[in-house]
Amino acid sequence: MNSDSNKLQVVQDGETDIIVRRFFSHPPARVWRALTDPMLIPQWLGEMKRCEMDARPGGSFHYEWDEFAFSGPVLAVDAPHHMVHVEHFSGDAAYNAEITTDLVAHGTGTRMTVMMRYANAEARAAAIANGFTDSLEETYGKLEAVQVKE
Amino acid sequence: MLSVNNLDTTFAALADPTRRAIIARLAQGEATVQDLARPFSISQPAISRHLKVLEEAGLIETRIEGTARPRRLKPEAVETLWEWLGQYRALWEKQFEKLDAVLDSLTEEAGEMPSDTRERSPS
Repeated sequence: MNSDSNKLQVVQDGETDIIVRRFFSHPPARVWRALTDPMLIPQWLGEMKRCEMDARPGGSFHYEWDEFAFSGPVLAVDAPHHMVHVEHFSGDAAYNAEITTDLVAHGTGTRMTVMMRYANAEARAAAIANGFTDSLEETYGKLEAVQVKE
Repeated sequence: MLSVNNLDTTFAALADPTRRAIIARLAQGEATVQDLARPFSISQPAISRHLKVLEEAGLIETRIEGTARPRRLKPEAVETLWEWLGQYRALWEKQFEKLDAVLDSLTEEAGEMPSDTRERSPS
């Protein structure tokens, strides 16, 4: 329960990658379930109007909100530790990221590493501009609320 | 580091989804106002106002080429964006805190022992 080790890390790596790291105090099997069960995903990623995730090789996913959607094929799966999927963004046809998620048992918890790989440096810059990791409007809504309070 | 004022200006510029989309488009190369207006259902004057805000925030610049005025991302803008996102990482962290809560609820729903130390699913 060390809050420091829970801390979210988001770093740029090389020309094309963004790496997100986070510790969860639950074992990989449970984290995997929360990350891949369509009944659970909206509980942390935000309510959406369509949520599909078939976390099997050859499967696909589709997350859709009112204004935008993320979707793409699932390329590789080794449950509950490893998944590679491609993410397309409805707001930008050129957006295309290959996302590798790894869950490694650490004590009784899980170290999650998500590597987001873009086609080139420009594509990564565009993704950064779009606020790549958030459930966009929700987070920006919160940002605005923070601003208003000041 | 960004000064607080710059950060406020950058924040205001990026709080708008249309302006973020403009930045995302310019990250792929320079574009004219007409190019930028095309994917949006808003007028060129409205786009021009968004461009003015982005230019004042130091994120984009105008190149003068004859009568054309293409806009492009300033080279330092990507670093500015990255720093700006870093300042607000705490808000993304909220999403993972929600995930923590979902995981806590699974412990009970699945009827698993809190001391469960299995590292692999039995499936």
